[in-house]
Amino acid sequence: MGRYLLQRLVTLIAILFVVSIGSFYLIHLLPGDPAFLILGFNYNPVTKAVLDAQLGLNQPIYLQYFTWIGHVFHGNLGTSFISHQPVLKTILRAIPIDLEMIVISQIIAFGAAIPLAMRSARRPDSTLDRLLSAGSFILLSVPGFIVIVLLVLIVSVKLGVPNTGPSTYVPFMENPFQNLSSLLLPSITLAVGSFVLYFRVLRSDLTGVLQEEFITMARSKGISQRRIMWRHAFRPASVSLLGSAGVNIGGLLASGFIVQFLLAIPGIGFILVGAINTSDYLLVQGVVLFVSGSVVLVNFLFDFIIFFVDPRISRD
Amino acid sequence: MSNELLVVKDLHTTFATAGGELPAVDGISFTLGQNETLGIVGESGSGKTVLARTIMGLQAIKNATVTGSVKINGSEVVGTSEEDKRKIWGTEVSMIFQDPMTSLNPVMRIGKQVDETLRILLGMSKEDAKKRAIELLELVGIPSPEERYEAFPSELSGGMRQRVVIATALACSPKLVLADEPTTGLDVTIQAQILNLLDELKEKMQMSVILITHDLGVVATRTSRIIVMYAGRIVEMGSTQDVFKDHRMPYTRALLESAPKVSNPSHTRLVTIAGRPPNLLALEKGCAFAPRCKFATDKCHNERPELQATGTEGHMFACWNPLTSSRGDA
Repeated sequence: MGRYLLQRLVTLIAILFVVSIGSFYLIHLLPGDPAFLILGFNYNPVTKAVLDAQLGLNQPIYLQYFTWIGHVFHGNLGTSFISHQPVLKTILRAIPIDLEMIVISQIIAFGAAIPLAMRSARRPDSTLDRLLSAGSFILLSVPGFIVIVLLVLIVSVKLGVPNTGPSTYVPFMENPFQNLSSLLLPSITLAVGSFVLYFRVLRSDLTGVLQEEFITMARSKGISQRRIMWRHAFRPASVSLLGSAGVNIGGLLASGFIVQFLLAIPGIGFILVGAINTSDYLLVQGVVLFVSGSVVLVNFLFDFIIFFVDPRISRD
Repeated sequence: MSNELLVVKDLHTTFATAGGELPAVDGISFTLGQNETLGIVGESGSGKTVLARTIMGLQAIKNATVTGSVKINGSEVVGTSEEDKRKIWGTEVSMIFQDPMTSLNPVMRIGKQVDETLRILLGMSKEDAKKRAIELLELVGIPSPEERYEAFPSELSGGMRQRVVIATALACSPKLVLADEPTTGLDVTIQAQILNLLDELKEKMQMSVILITHDLGVVATRTSRIIVMYAGRIVEMGSTQDVFKDHRMPYTRALLESAPKVSNPSHTRLVTIAGRPPNLLALEKGCAFAPRCKFATDKCHNERPELQATGTEGHMFACWNPLTSSRGDA
């Protein structure tokens, strides 16, 4: 039992190490000299040498990495040369918006996918099943930036629902209602992709599980179909669902930037696009490290959940 | 016949397949009394499992058409909705499945699988149901049942799992239990244990049992009557004594002869039945066994024999050229 988790933990640490090297090295891949960027008109070989010594840029690169990772462990991601704000503070201010969008979108996606997948799997190849499969395929092929534009066009412009369009975001503490309504359309947009994924994965696994002998046996016990679906079929069929949810939710942190950018919602994606445009290298680095670290951690979290959902895993 | 627990009349189960209509159960009628044990014997593919599932009303495959009548304690099964059948499932009739490796839910604690029906069908409280489930686990011979209550199926051996399957099937004290090859997936030593357990429970709980098997050795000492099936039909039925000692159908004899005997000298060749079970999509007009039967005549190939009585009560066979009685009274 502990062996599986230990194995996952070792993998997790290894991946986080690689991610940190990638994020660190990123800054050296970007064009331009940080000293030039910071010094601006004061740039000359003398000032550059002083600044490089100050920032440790004259040291070997592996030493620079260890200095940097040491700071990361102390929660210090550096201070932006552009906004002169600590990078971590900027990220922590933006991240609740992403979390809120992800939570709302996942409630919508799971709330729609689970009952519909159950309906579909109960009668595979029925009219409903075919309609849902075809419908989900269509949704799968529509990109998020089209969905959000259509939603804004219909809901905010045609129907005139207030506080749903671009630049309507306010923090939750300021006005919860406006906050929720401004995040509704982007959350729905994120939910579309998740819904299609969850519906397809669960439908296919449930269809398989429902043909298992233990389901026939459960039927022969005289319990209701509803109970068979929820108590007997759902759990063994939910392993791939959880696995794909882990990958997907991590990815939402990284892919939310399109809707955030289009609707001017100051989430992590919005910050990232801004940082790239202003060549705010340290902020880019911080966001990349934070987002990729989160993706890995969310994945690990779901592996952990799967471990408890399916006792068969602990035996392998 | 009000004391009959199970009445099966002219039961047909036909599957619509790409190759045409497949008659898996082809006109079967029999009855079963209270506290009786009936053995149903036949090769793989003779329709035993389909028959059991049809009696239960559990169609495993879609596109199945069922006609005829099955009455369990007076309730008709054929043509009723799953909701209606649910009223007799568990409490009147239940099934012990063939393969304990696949018939238990792998992600549900075994105790929960046993006490589920106690809570749902009998409305017991959680504590009472748990107590009863532990009693049932003890009854089927599972050591330290309180601990095993929390175990997952993967933590138990095949024999132990089959005991759990039995405990689950018997939880609500059904009057009729269909045991579909309950020991096929198990080691030989465990087989006898499980069959003895079933016998014992049958006496304790006053149930009728239908024991489905391809192994005549299994039914020899445990059943009062035997039905021999071939190609979806009954070819011989009677008391266990009659079927073993006074069989008329060559197929029955072939089945008996193909079982290895301890009294055989070493290196005795096993007797096998020539040929293969017939393709149910392309049956001959006559007796389905005729192509493999050494006594077959033209009549056997062209006319289908119906069940006829031997004179001994309840003993019937379907054959044009029956074996002469080994008792010499035919």
